Amino acid sequence: MNSPDNRFRRSQELFARAAKVIPGGIYGHAGPAIGLPGSFPYYADRAQGCRYWDVDGNEYIDYLCGYGPMILGHQHPEVEAAAARQQRDALCLNHPGPIMVELAEHLVSLVEFSAWAVFGKNGSDMTTWALQVAREHTRRRKILKVAGAYHGMDPWCTPGHAGLLEEDRAHIHDFTWNDLDSFERLLKSFRGDIAGVIMTPFHHPVFHASQMPAPGFWPHIEAACRRDGIVLILDDIRAGFRLDLHGSHKYFGFEPDLICFCKALANGHPLSATLGRRELRVAASKVFLTGSYWNNPPPMAAAMACLKIMQSEDTVSTLRRLGEMLMTGLVEAGRKHGYAMLASGPPATPFLSFADDPSLRRQQRFCAEVTRRGAMFHPHHNWFLSAAHTPEDIAATLRMADEAFAVIKSEGL
Amino acid sequence: MLPCLTDLAAEDPAARDILGDLDASIVLRILGGAAATLRLRSGRVAWENGCGRGIPSVSLLFLSDRHLNAFFSGRTWAVPLTLWGGWRVGVLQRFAKLARRLKAVLNGDPPVLATPAGRRLHARLSLIAAGLGLRPLADGDEPARNALRSLPPGLAAFSIAGEPGATIWFDHGSVDNAAGWGEPPRRPDVCITFADMDVAYAAMRDEIDALAAIGCGQITVEGLVPLADGLNVVMERLRVYLQPSAS
Repeated sequence: MNSPDNRFRRSQELFARAAKVIPGGIYGHAGPAIGLPGSFPYYADRAQGCRYWDVDGNEYIDYLCGYGPMILGHQHPEVEAAAARQQRDALCLNHPGPIMVELAEHLVSLVEFSAWAVFGKNGSDMTTWALQVAREHTRRRKILKVAGAYHGMDPWCTPGHAGLLEEDRAHIHDFTWNDLDSFERLLKSFRGDIAGVIMTPFHHPVFHASQMPAPGFWPHIEAACRRDGIVLILDDIRAGFRLDLHGSHKYFGFEPDLICFCKALANGHPLSATLGRRELRVAASKVFLTGSYWNNPPPMAAAMACLKIMQSEDTVSTLRRLGEMLMTGLVEAGRKHGYAMLASGPPATPFLSFADDPSLRRQQRFCAEVTRRGAMFHPHHNWFLSAAHTPEDIAATLRMADEAFAVIKSEGL
Repeated sequence: MLPCLTDLAAEDPAARDILGDLDASIVLRILGGAAATLRLRSGRVAWENGCGRGIPSVSLLFLSDRHLNAFFSGRTWAVPLTLWGGWRVGVLQRFAKLARRLKAVLNGDPPVLATPAGRRLHARLSLIAAGLGLRPLADGDEPARNALRSLPPGLAAFSIAGEPGATIWFDHGSVDNAAGWGEPPRRPDVCITFADMDVAYAAMRDEIDALAAIGCGQITVEGLVPLADGLNVVMERLRVYLQPSAS
């Protein structure tokens, strides 16, 4: 990590220590390799609202929101109070608490097609379990997914390369987003043996612009699944509650059989959930599901508070408004400096890229310059808005972006 | 292997000692396949595709790619057939000795790795071998081809800081792939740079935590990150071929 002005000295020191005792130093999506070493901090210290501070005291307006969970902003007082209240009574018990039943009832009432809910901790817990439910229900083997889509870290879907057997993915088959021909080819090849199709509501591959579903794409997928008795699984872990409080399928006008939530469900507290149709209830009851901390009541209390606030404050509309303001302003700022910008994805989970930048260098320099000025822009991963962002924060961000565009222009990028 | 021989002669005093004042040309031909010509002169090694012009000092025939690889891997059974120049015993002996020296450096034999200069040479030649191995892997190895299919097209360059000339490049095209050693044909879409020879040495031997090294600035990846990440997977396939087999 080479930061010429020493602004990440403490981050560097911590990372040097970490590199001795933690494989990768920082592993997974927060690791330096996917970000911008030298331009991004490695370690954060504290956060409040839509801002956070790294361990060197640098302040950022947060457009990653913990990679999605912080939908109401960091340290939301009502959510934290609900979790703290619950924790005063119990943290980890031998039995689930009443809050688990209340939360399941609330979620089932929120997501119209669902009749039941289960809980885990991470997105992977839920997507992998959902596949098993689909297989149990249909007694079939094959799972179809979109190439480049992220569904977690289990062997069937990890974007990593190590520690895998060919057998891990023997029954996992990829088709191309918005390419119904490639989908139909798989349907034809494996007719009668396809248990499930798992997809995100829109395509948000890392290192690429997000892609919305083409007209007719979702209706075709949904109809094919209904026709062939295939379980349609919506991985709503990243977008859930940001596009529509009742599930992102409502935003795009279709209906899945299973829906997986995580991230924004409990505003940063560790909780994930899967909801499903009544017809899948028996299969769901048969597929084993548990974890050391999965019944802990505090995250469930946080989720109840978070869901109620999102409902009463119409967070979805707020995020859309803020996202539109941000992306419209960024595209305009880019245009002013002679850059054709591509704003992709829904406004609440947007991504900005340069229209002609195959090496990603311009994107990386731009995001580095904006981040240096105090707004965390990731060059490779889609962004997130929170309800704690204000129009003033967006305006300040646009001023930073304007300066950043000027810098990269002066560098001839 | 041939670019490695060129670099070996340029960088390794022991190889130059082997070559001495030898002035010869050697054609290496694979039965039913490609041919290349080595020119050994004034302690240097140059090579070109094909049989070159004129009559070579020695012409050697290998029965297959595997036969050629086995020869450069030091397999005693892998002696080539001498089509021409069999009486030039001195040329053949020195060439065999040069091939053994190359094998020792690439394998990282203990005497080579005992000195900083030997480790440097090992890392440098390993980088060249790995880079140039990408092309045949891309063409013929199914797991590598599968990995490449998901990568964006682009030109990747791997180099070692402070080691001029030790740059290998791989151009992953939408149709064809190309690889080379030295100056890339255009500005790379991604540059992977090892901070020094020790880092490169460790990376080539899979003895470094590459993600931690990136975080510490020992390895920099600048530009099209997914291409670098994917090529790393492809390069790991090389180990399957380069590891000494039991036979």
